[in-house]
Amino acid sequence: MFHWLEKHPFFFAVGVFIAIAFAGLIEILPNFAQASRPVIGTAPYSTLELAGRHVYIKNSCNACHSQLIRPFKSETDRYGHYSLSGEYAYDRPFLWGSKRTGPDLMRVGNYRTTDWHENHMKDPQSVVPGSIMPAYKWLFTNSADIDTVYAEQLTVAKHFAVPYNQDVPMKDGSVQNVKMASSIAEARSLALEEAKVVAADMKDQDVKDAVARGEIPEIVALIAYMNSLK
Amino acid sequence: MSIAELQAYGYFVLTFLLVVVLYGYIYHLYTKKRDADGVDYESYSNMALKDDIDDAPVSALSDEKVPFEGAKK
Amino acid sequence: MENRPLEYDYTIAKMFMLTTIAFGIVGMLIGVILAFQLAFPGLNLILGDGLAEYTNFSRLRPLHTDAVIFGFTLSGVFATWYYVGQRVLKVSMAESRLLMTLGKLHFWLYVIVVAAAVYSLFAGVTTSKEYAEFEWPIDVGVVVVWVIFGMSMFGLIGIRREKSLYISVWYYIATFLGIAMLYLFNNMEIPTYFVTSPAGESGIGAWYHSVSMYAGTNDALVQWWYGHNAVAFGFTVPIVAMIYYFLPKESGQAIYSYKLSLLSFWGLMFVYLWAGGHHLLYSTVPDWMQTMGSIFSIVLILPSWGSAINMLLTMKGEWQQVAASPLIKFMVLGSTFYMFSTLEGPIQAIKSVNAIAHFTDWIVGHVHDGVLGWVGFMIMASLYHMAPRVFKREIYSKSLMAAQFWIQTLGVVLYFSSMWIAGITQGMMWRAHDEFGNLAYSFIDTVTVLHPYYAIRGVGGLLYLVGFLMFAYNIYKTMSSRPVEERELQSASPMGA
Repeated sequence: MFHWLEKHPFFFAVGVFIAIAFAGLIEILPNFAQASRPVIGTAPYSTLELAGRHVYIKNSCNACHSQLIRPFKSETDRYGHYSLSGEYAYDRPFLWGSKRTGPDLMRVGNYRTTDWHENHMKDPQSVVPGSIMPAYKWLFTNSADIDTVYAEQLTVAKHFAVPYNQDVPMKDGSVQNVKMASSIAEARSLALEEAKVVAADMKDQDVKDAVARGEIPEIVALIAYMNSLK
Repeated sequence: MSIAELQAYGYFVLTFLLVVVLYGYIYHLYTKKRDADGVDYESYSNMALKDDIDDAPVSALSDEKVPFEGAKK
Repeated sequence: MENRPLEYDYTIAKMFMLTTIAFGIVGMLIGVILAFQLAFPGLNLILGDGLAEYTNFSRLRPLHTDAVIFGFTLSGVFATWYYVGQRVLKVSMAESRLLMTLGKLHFWLYVIVVAAAVYSLFAGVTTSKEYAEFEWPIDVGVVVVWVIFGMSMFGLIGIRREKSLYISVWYYIATFLGIAMLYLFNNMEIPTYFVTSPAGESGIGAWYHSVSMYAGTNDALVQWWYGHNAVAFGFTVPIVAMIYYFLPKESGQAIYSYKLSLLSFWGLMFVYLWAGGHHLLYSTVPDWMQTMGSIFSIVLILPSWGSAINMLLTMKGEWQQVAASPLIKFMVLGSTFYMFSTLEGPIQAIKSVNAIAHFTDWIVGHVHDGVLGWVGFMIMASLYHMAPRVFKREIYSKSLMAAQFWIQTLGVVLYFSSMWIAGITQGMMWRAHDEFGNLAYSFIDTVTVLHPYYAIRGVGGLLYLVGFLMFAYNIYKTMSSRPVEERELQSASPMGA
């Protein structure tokens, strides 16, 4: 049987394929049946938060920052409660990262403020002396792409039943309803409303002016996302 | 039967099967030492060592195709 | 056609040799820049404030990994396939016009896809998944290139004269199948452009944007099943294919045990795929998968060492060649590094070790002793072996090769030793508590302490890059300034003084 395989490339290839596909079949596929169910308190990303997530991905923040708190005392002391699977139910893609050149950001919204992020993104060393993080000044001038965000919201709501415009239970027993727009124009104005709240806490006059004009600089979206990480 | 049980059975059966196949392979290689065409496995190293286009193949695919005219034996 | 004897046709192999060198320089240069950016953050502004967006660490990092994996390594795999494939199957590419056309198509499409990938990563168009950063239009291009590679490979196998497939061909076939399966499943994504809003608008936002089919933990599981095995089928399997051909050929020794090579092959195929879970220890994936990842990582030592020991024993009784030939030095040190990193990997996959090592520079060090010491050395050695035969010219300088070997070896040693220290130092500091049970160090303390190691790592990387430039120069001079030999050069690589 074996020598026969060695001389018949096609069947040989089939044999190799079975050997390598075996692990995936047993290990990974069945787990999809029990797809990640959200834990109580996990809501879908709002338009501006998702835009901030796109900024996070565009700049590969995940190259240096993890979003996964492991169940050790040293990690829960530093970053907060360890991660639960259901908290990632709306993360497409996941952003766990593989290297902590900078600290974990899974719950950064609990202990950093809009103000802090603004200064930090402009000049990290002024906030954290000795930091090796580069400044991200272009975030203050580039505009966030709300249309693409809206297209993504529509897609996940349609294909993966992400509960936009539905009541989602929160930890304190209340419910939260994350709005998704019904047209591009409405999506833009929804994002702008959120942006105004963030910009109110910021100091950069150019950013405030831009938001007043109806534009959304990337930094505003990114901070909205950072603040939502809890 | 739950999916987790299926996973466990599937894992056990397939692993067992593969272990049997692999050990069967080892047994076959070291007892027979030759494949069905009577070629010693170790002589297959010559596929790399004698790989000029006019070298004779270790075991030719078919008589009419091998080797092209003017090949050395 | 005139009455010439049939010869192997290395046209495609030569083309891929050039891209191996070009992408190698690009990928390693970016790597050196990244290394120094960590030591001296001012270098993030290397081209000034205006271009900071394109020269900062986070934007360049995926470019480095992808340029080395899909540029340098894949080019090397293709180059050696179009050389080794013909020879062990005893059939020439010149015998089939179709295969020649496919080969050229393969090359040019590959170059186009690489160019598109580089452009998109600079622009920040990325899915964020490691080594699978490309958005769907490029993924489609990758699949097309891969299918053409498969057609070209099986086409050549189809017209072979040798009945059995040499062990290297087994590994090349496995590379093709493995990457095809992994890449497809990990890049399952839905383009967002084609969705329609309740208001009836369609074609919203960027046309190239997509969203992953998997969410959260599942996404992580598939990604690291891919990520781990992209390493398996990109950095291990095809490189083993190379060493099984080039080491026996260069030393003139038959493989120590051909039977062992067959066994290791099936062992590696079966075990490797299970080990992906070790990237997710202590994460939110089910516990049994994490344990499985650990166990199989340990089992993986067996088939890996099976191949590596087989290679070293091939040199049995011929060890004087290691002293005499710089080319053999590269290969023997390459297989030693292979043994070393396939032992280091399973150690890091043990849960208690991983608790310290994960997220630190030790992992970076592990990747680099594998890629610099094993993949890089083997690809360069393969090209050094091929160059005299495809260009019909002797290697330009043997002493330059020897110097390159020592410079690069020193570079690799500096690299992994500094990263070990950095990783373990940081891992221990993160978990240190004082006498009252409070964290002993703030995060930034654990960063500033790494500065000297980052600087040493940068120097190590720079030495390796210098060696690679010497390699490029040596090949260039071989092509251009050596006299052409009458016929293809035989047996061991001839060396000029």
